[in-house]
Amino acid sequence: MSDTRTCAPVDKLEIKRLLRARKSMMKLYLSHCVRCSLCAESCFLFMTNDQDPKYMPSYKVIQSVGKLYKKRGNVDRVFLEKIKKIVWKNCVLCRRCYCPIGVDIPAMIAFARGVCRSQGVYPDFDEQGAAESWL
Amino acid sequence: MIVGQRKPLEEVVAMIRDCKRVLNIGCGGCTSICLAGGQKEVELLNAELRAYLSDHGQDNEIRSFTVERQCNADFFHELDVLRSEYDALLSMACGAGVQFVADRYPELPVFPALNTSFVGFDKDVGWYEENCRTCGDCVLGDTAGVCPVTRCAKSLFNGPCGGTRLDGSCEVDTATPCAWFEIHNRLKRQNRLELMMKIRPAREWENQTRRMLIQEAYKERYSK
Repeated sequence: MSDTRTCAPVDKLEIKRLLRARKSMMKLYLSHCVRCSLCAESCFLFMTNDQDPKYMPSYKVIQSVGKLYKKRGNVDRVFLEKIKKIVWKNCVLCRRCYCPIGVDIPAMIAFARGVCRSQGVYPDFDEQGAAESWL
Repeated sequence: MIVGQRKPLEEVVAMIRDCKRVLNIGCGGCTSICLAGGQKEVELLNAELRAYLSDHGQDNEIRSFTVERQCNADFFHELDVLRSEYDALLSMACGAGVQFVADRYPELPVFPALNTSFVGFDKDVGWYEENCRTCGDCVLGDTAGVCPVTRCAKSLFNGPCGGTRLDGSCEVDTATPCAWFEIHNRLKRQNRLELMMKIRPAREWENQTRRMLIQEAYKERYSK
């Protein structure tokens, strides 16, 4: 991973702009989750990892998109690296998570990924990535 | 996984040189994993393009954006807005992704930055091997998991051809193992050698129409 990707300060104004652009929809989704856990049962990663709560789709969006909004975009690179693990390593974006309320969970994960990407935070699939067990 | 390889820089330049503002779109799917068209490769190509065009007295604006998957409409929310600022789009997805983008934005020229190579698996980091030609008529159950269409130089369904060398390599390329030699050995190991004698009808290779697949459970939904 290049130094610019790991050391450069994050562009908070850009993150805030991205959050603002999708605010109404994302806030609506976040506020409509009724914690029914049906999304968890439709997630194959959750089911095949001994139902570990960190794989619950609702947990993943609350810990990524939810926290981005809660912090109003005032985040640093360390925070985005934490999100990277949640939205890439713990989610393959297969789009099979089911929400009876109609929350578009894959769209939220994709949005969190987009925020990370805007700051050069994304998984590597080369030797660096292999060392981080992305493969 | 779909495996791709970046086109030579000159070929990419020839496609985009007359476009003032170009958006290079990476794909977060297969071409990211095969190190050909992810966000990192987009930035690398853009740096090369800017340097090349600058050296040749051109000042094209080359920007980047990465879509999680270019073959799925659910991930185009941002690009739907962004694309209006550009004269052309350069796609670092596979051929399916390029066509998806071109269909979605028919008013814009969409250029491929990759050559889609094959469907295969990861041998190691940066090392991929072709294993499926997506022929639509899978015989792997009869051939002990060795694809004769992909791994036989002549794509023989009823092999071997007689060109197997003593060491088990193919007469076309000595570095390539004969697929039917491998099929024979593996079937023998599985005590299913009688399958070698099974005659498979000739495959309809010509006049193929564009393929489409709807899984059984979804047929009713899409028939409306």
